[in-house]
Amino acid sequence: MSRSEISTQPLVVKILGGLALAAVGALTGAALANAIEGRNMPWADSLALAMAVALITIGVLSAITMALRPSTVPKGCGVLQIVVFLLAGAMFLAPMYASAFVTADTVFAGIAVLLAVQTVANVMLWRRADEMLRQVMAETSAIAFWALQTALFLYAAAERLGLVDTISGWGLTGILMAVYLVSSIAAAARRGIH
Amino acid sequence: MNNHLRTLRADRGWSQADLAAALGVSRQTVNALETGRYDPSLPLAFKIARVFEQPIEAIFSDTGA
Repeated sequence: MSRSEISTQPLVVKILGGLALAAVGALTGAALANAIEGRNMPWADSLALAMAVALITIGVLSAITMALRPSTVPKGCGVLQIVVFLLAGAMFLAPMYASAFVTADTVFAGIAVLLAVQTVANVMLWRRADEMLRQVMAETSAIAFWALQTALFLYAAAERLGLVDTISGWGLTGILMAVYLVSSIAAAARRGIH
Repeated sequence: MNNHLRTLRADRGWSQADLAAALGVSRQTVNALETGRYDPSLPLAFKIARVFEQPIEAIFSDTGA
């Protein structure tokens, strides 16, 4: 085995990197808030837009991080993860914006194709992942399932009793993705993955 | 579960990426193993033992019971 040390970044570089990420987050958040407020969007569309921006931002930042890594660091499943994030973001944007350019049937067909590609990418990601990444994915699914089935039952009971309004499938999908993202952050943080 | 992975790796002058390549896992997994955030499966524990040419019990120790 050859000796190849990973370049340890100085604290100043880490702090500057953190500040740069914070600035990107602040600018992205401000732009998103302006977009939502200016267009008076329904809450389901606002949530979907927020999810799309979050997913695409994570994908782009992951790509930048991957490109800046020393060549000695294995690429791992990074490319597949980026593809999954970007496709998920695109699929959240398409139902809201693509129909301004093409027919609804065409948009739906495009979404079906993107979903098929993303499913293949997800399967490849699972097969190529090492045992810890698989465990993180499994824990994410378990946390998200527990949280969502609990919330869904409470909501369904309240809806049956006429205590709350009906939520559309589009709204539920946005909630599902938000819970899944938070679950994945929690599962990854437990293993020290940031 | 405790382990001496970091010490064993440092003794050999290997980086986390080197060990990850030898074990067929990601660098994040090696880091999680060293910091006690992840306990390896039995097959991975055997692989680690083979890479360091030591018995499993010389690398890992049980903190419970």
